[in-house]
Amino acid sequence: MSFLQPLLLAGLPLISLPILIHLINQRRFQTIRWGAMMFLLAANRMSRGYAKLRQWLILVFRTLAIAGLIFGVARPLASGWLGLTAGGRPDTTIILLDRSPSMRQQGEGQVGTKLDTGRYQLARSLGLLGSAKWVLIESTTNTPREIESPEVLLNLPATEPSSASADLPVMLQAAHDYVKANKSGRTEIWICSDIRANDWNSESGRWATLRDAFLELTQGVRFHLLAYAQSATGNVSLRVTNVRRQQSSDGAELLVSLKLSREGVADDAEKVSVPVSFEIEGARSEATFEISGSTFEMKDHRIPIERSKDRGWGKVSIPADANSADNDFYFVFDRPAVRQTIIVADDANAARPLQLSAGISPDPAMKLAAEVLTVDQLPTVEWDQVSLVLWQAALPDGPTADAIQMLVDRGGQVIFFPTQGVTSTSFAGMSWQSWNESPDGIAIETWRVDQDLLANTQSGAALPVGQLQVRKHCGLSGEHTPLATLKGGAPLLARVTTNRGGVYFCATTPAAADSSLAENGVVLYVLVQRALGLGAAVLGNTRQLVAGDVSGEQPTAWQQLAGPPDALSTEFAFHGGVYSGGERLLALNRASAEDQAAVLADGRIAELFQGLDFARVDDKAGNLAALIQEIWRLFLVAMIIALIVEAALCLPKKVTQVVSA
Amino acid sequence: MWRTRLACTGFSVQQRQSQLRHASRVPHNSIPESPRMFADRQPRSFLDTGALSRLAAVPLNSRRPMLGSVSGRHTSPHRGASVEFAEYRKYVPGDDLRRLDWRAYGRSDRFYVKEFEADTNLRLCAVLDTSGSMDFGSTGITKIEYARKLAGSLAYLASQQGDAVGLSCVANTIVRNIPPKRGPAHLMNVFDILEQAQPSGETQLIGVLHELAETIRQRALIVILSDFFVEPDLLRGCLQHLRFRKHDVSMFQLLDPLEINFNFRRPMRFIDMEGGPSIFAEPNEIADRYQKALQKYADELLAVVLESAVDFHPVTLDENFEQVLMRFLVGRTRTKGVR
Repeated sequence: MSFLQPLLLAGLPLISLPILIHLINQRRFQTIRWGAMMFLLAANRMSRGYAKLRQWLILVFRTLAIAGLIFGVARPLASGWLGLTAGGRPDTTIILLDRSPSMRQQGEGQVGTKLDTGRYQLARSLGLLGSAKWVLIESTTNTPREIESPEVLLNLPATEPSSASADLPVMLQAAHDYVKANKSGRTEIWICSDIRANDWNSESGRWATLRDAFLELTQGVRFHLLAYAQSATGNVSLRVTNVRRQQSSDGAELLVSLKLSREGVADDAEKVSVPVSFEIEGARSEATFEISGSTFEMKDHRIPIERSKDRGWGKVSIPADANSADNDFYFVFDRPAVRQTIIVADDANAARPLQLSAGISPDPAMKLAAEVLTVDQLPTVEWDQVSLVLWQAALPDGPTADAIQMLVDRGGQVIFFPTQGVTSTSFAGMSWQSWNESPDGIAIETWRVDQDLLANTQSGAALPVGQLQVRKHCGLSGEHTPLATLKGGAPLLARVTTNRGGVYFCATTPAAADSSLAENGVVLYVLVQRALGLGAAVLGNTRQLVAGDVSGEQPTAWQQLAGPPDALSTEFAFHGGVYSGGERLLALNRASAEDQAAVLADGRIAELFQGLDFARVDDKAGNLAALIQEIWRLFLVAMIIALIVEAALCLPKKVTQVVSA
Repeated sequence: MWRTRLACTGFSVQQRQSQLRHASRVPHNSIPESPRMFADRQPRSFLDTGALSRLAAVPLNSRRPMLGSVSGRHTSPHRGASVEFAEYRKYVPGDDLRRLDWRAYGRSDRFYVKEFEADTNLRLCAVLDTSGSMDFGSTGITKIEYARKLAGSLAYLASQQGDAVGLSCVANTIVRNIPPKRGPAHLMNVFDILEQAQPSGETQLIGVLHELAETIRQRALIVILSDFFVEPDLLRGCLQHLRFRKHDVSMFQLLDPLEINFNFRRPMRFIDMEGGPSIFAEPNEIADRYQKALQKYADELLAVVLESAVDFHPVTLDENFEQVLMRFLVGRTRTKGVR
């Protein structure tokens, strides 16, 4: 049970007042010389069962009456989810609102979404609890903003659903920074979320840091989690995995690859038909697909377009279901730009495999260009056209390093390979160390299969990285994230943390004397093509973006071509849709992780807040019943009942006049 | 319930009021002007001249024939020389020839002796309980003081009509005992003892009554003034013993209103006036059981007195003693003549 005025509970010892009064009264006895002792003795010998019970009942009801009064004025709440708030009204209440697409999931048979329900419940509950200051941190901007009252949550545009994923550690960090910067007093942090694993990043090392940081705060911070963890079984999500334009015999056509996923359904579930609507700049077409399991993938669904239509946008939709956020997907298309790779290599044996990997297109419609240059020729390169740089030479310095850094900042990719001559030059904080030789070859022990260049394929198959043999590798120094590690712990492929773009260091070269990268070309080819794809994604006049991650763009200059009509222009970057920025076409969609319905386990949540003052309550989307409700009336009624019963028990029995003259 | 007992005596409120009115018409010159009896004596605090003058209008009768030593106003089991014809009896040799009814002889040719009722005096034995519990009183008068008034007035009324008066003060034993005698000097002795009687000690009424039943030789009117805080079952034996000795037994049970109502508010420590253990009690808690115990006792006592045919008068100290005595006296007028 929770109380709005818990300090008044300090008066609970007053329930012993009837006992004290009884004891005091006992001490104020009178003495009388009495003749009729035989009746008193007989009365004492009689059974005292009911009389004793009556006395105890009177004491109990008097105690209950006082307790009812104290509990009543302490303003109890009819919910245990708040816990016993000590100290009454908090100084600052920070609301962390998860606006991710998964929060648009509706309850079973309910109209309201998780986000709507959460906002409604927060507005009602927090309004009841009160606070000196209200601060909102929503999941798109992660910036604290003060609000007048919790009721504002119902109307504030910044609390409307978005297509951007949430990052709870960042939101908590923002809350911590706010508390620290503003020297807030006792603070309550309310988290409204559906505890999706992708939003919480529970494996992130930031959680431990956050826990320690909050524990260091002296003012006392209490966490409340309003969780909407229920899943929407059968909900279908749509994702366009690829869109290509190609010439056909009739003119031109779009090849749209898409993926349909059904949440919480076994692979052997019965088939369902899903009508999919395609809209290419207003022209609609529809196709029905049958999903037999949990996922369905359609490769290269052909949609004819005008021959002259080189560039445009489209939208794929499925009918409304439990979550409306994953029913639409926007895309843009254009004639593919040439993916240009610059190879700078000291060793021709190494340069050749690299050139082949970067120059052979996996798709006939995609044009690739790989050019081997020397360091001296670099000033002539038009860096704006370059997607990938493969550098097998001494690490760049001077103007060359600046040019490459600009390419990285623009979103380009660079993979460095070691050269024979070790220099002290460094790039992005990394430098080469001495060479290590192992004529028998060293196998790769571990590599990251979940993301980045060596990730598994879309079908889930792992790359044959384990079959590689490294005969010579160069040591690395500097702060990096290893993507592949040789037996013994030495890194083979490492990534340097950057704001945009990618800077990779491969500790060996494709030369036959150094490794089997060229021999077993699959890994090298995939590695180079993936890096090339990432680098090319920022080129051209069309771009597929993830909502909330629009670095390098200027959303304030965007014009909305398709998308939610009520989205504010300042929030275009967080809403799925198609936008035009100058000559560029941009399609924003939710992150792919949003389609995975994994929810953090209760135990994991408890671990994340271990040591902190944490309370959790689970709610359901569409639930309009108040989470907390003042029930002081009940206590006052109980007190009145107790007083009435006590009075009835105290009423003297109708005494029969035994003796009268 | 106590009122029910009153109804058992066959005396209604109207009758008592009528008697009181009759008493008020008695001329003052027929009674002493003062209860002091003798000029040199101290006035008796327990005697009320006005009440005595009114009570003197109603004679003190015995419910049973008495065996007195002198002629009086009470019936005797023997034949005597009164003017009231009793019966004819066959002459047997040795009878006084003067008592032969010659007219009957003339009519029947047989000798009959004409017999008349004998009138004798009464022996009043007042038994006063002087145990410690008689010292209790919450209405300004204690039980012993009230008992003194009753006993003194009865003694005076009996003496005035020529009856013998005796007094026994009892507690755990017979404290003082004056056998019944006639005469004003003896009455003064009785008054003196009454005045000197002080309550103390515990009640041993049962044993004392048995002892009195044995020691009072001739038939007497035995008036017991006590609170009767004894077991009714034990009292039954005493009363039957007294009845067996052909005594006319009357009981005045004196109770204080507080002992009946038990209307205390605060926690009380009750100290036994007869030296027993004291009890600490919460009146609100114990009142029910106290009333139950009192009720049970009253029921048992009523059963005992009904079985024993005892003239029983429950009295509370807030009652006017004159009315109590009037009720007692008037109740006895209806049973006069029973032999």
